[in-house]
Amino acid sequence: MIWPLDKVWARQLLSLAVFLACWEALARGGVLDPFYAPPPSEVAHVLITVFADGTIWPHLQATFTAALLGLAFGLLIGIVLGFMGALVPFIAELLEPVMILLNAIPRVILAPLFVIWLGIGLGSKVALAFVLVAVLIFFAVYGGIREVDRRLVERVRTLGGGRWVLLREVYLPSVTAWVMGNLKVAVGFAFTGAVVGEFVASSRGLGYLLSFAQSTYNAALMLALVLMIMAFVLLLFVLAGHLERRLLRWRYR
Amino acid sequence: MLRVSNLSLAYDGEPVLEGASLEVGRGQFVSLVGPSGSGKSTILRAVMGLQSPSGGRIELAVDGAEIGILFQDDALLPWRTARQNVALGWRIRGRARREALEEAERWLARLGLEGFGDRYPRELSGGQRKRVAMAQVLALEPRLLLMDEPFASLDAIVRHRITEDLLGWVEREQLTVLLVTHDLEEAQTLSDVVYLLSQGPRARIRQRYEVPIPRPRDLVRSRMHPSFGPLLERLWHDMSQEVGGPEPVRPARDSDRRKAS
Repeated sequence: MIWPLDKVWARQLLSLAVFLACWEALARGGVLDPFYAPPPSEVAHVLITVFADGTIWPHLQATFTAALLGLAFGLLIGIVLGFMGALVPFIAELLEPVMILLNAIPRVILAPLFVIWLGIGLGSKVALAFVLVAVLIFFAVYGGIREVDRRLVERVRTLGGGRWVLLREVYLPSVTAWVMGNLKVAVGFAFTGAVVGEFVASSRGLGYLLSFAQSTYNAALMLALVLMIMAFVLLLFVLAGHLERRLLRWRYR
Repeated sequence: MLRVSNLSLAYDGEPVLEGASLEVGRGQFVSLVGPSGSGKSTILRAVMGLQSPSGGRIELAVDGAEIGILFQDDALLPWRTARQNVALGWRIRGRARREALEEAERWLARLGLEGFGDRYPRELSGGQRKRVAMAQVLALEPRLLLMDEPFASLDAIVRHRITEDLLGWVEREQLTVLLVTHDLEEAQTLSDVVYLLSQGPRARIRQRYEVPIPRPRDLVRSRMHPSFGPLLERLWHDMSQEVGGPEPVRPARDSDRRKAS
């Protein structure tokens, strides 16, 4: 078979295969200690096992529930607060300093606080994912409205459009573009919030499994979990990309 | 149709206009020229209601819905197709969606854009976008058309064609027009009256010029009219006095070109 090596994806795939083969050979040959860097075949074996015996499903369900709920609430509240802040100066005066503070700190440090407030159940994980997403989306919407193209606003006004027409024809589409541009980052943030929350204190979820793998020095399980999280986030990235191209077809067609 | 009396306007306390007055009669094509920064566009924005004057009066014999405005930027909504952009004015005025879109399609065809209705602005050339913007404004059948250097960003050939189409439209429909331009020849070719603004700040109308070229006009033949050259020379002279320094190089006229050959 002749490889189409003039294609970027083919060269990338070949590089990955060479890297994995070297890793496998070095681990099997005793150059790499399998305790720290188990061979890819062992990581694959762990991955297949956790799916085959069904142990992964409740953990996946916990992490996905926390991440998707945090993402949904974060998008909703971020959009509402962003709109209110941009359109009502009094609300902007109240919100802006809080949001700037929240944006300035690494927000995952709030995880232990949420555990104290909301317990080790789902609530604290959703709260962390929510805070990570809401602050990001607030600034996307707030900035999106404040930096909306003034020429478009004037054009709609001179055609006779009032506040509602401006909202429907200029602000909402403009904000949609900003939000969609940040959606992939928001998906990553939501999973970060859920997994870190589980890592800090929980009894279920991929973060809990990571913590378990760390405490039992199970590097193969840890690598399998990292790969799994990467794969699911990539899948959500692809879905977000499709949604973006659909909603912003004027930009991509 | 439009009377501006003693208009004064300031930006952040800095006076731009002071006591500017001009008049646009029904069916007249009037141009406003002047040095950069003299406040030409500011007068237009004040008439549009986008800028509040600090003094003076603006009297209009038409209501806001009968005024059409063409900006230098086409300012089309990037997320709407050409057809939806043209239909926007009708939609805002309460027309049913389907009816507005059908009407928009007819206007696109009139302006030479048949079959382009489904395209988004980024899929159109600069000239096509400008025609969509024209269709958007003309579809509302305005009685007064305000234009702020609407074709300045286009290349010479496209600009000539679009200007020619617009001139034909204005003459056929007997529209009243106030055009802001920095191009003295364009002002003279299109207008019945040209106003020259003085150098800012505190700019005012320095001079009013009648253009005695008969209508209907042709963009090329108008330049060969006996009054074109002397009037252009006067405009350049007065403008150069306003700008100060050496007299700007005036463009070569057809008579000069003939002498040279």
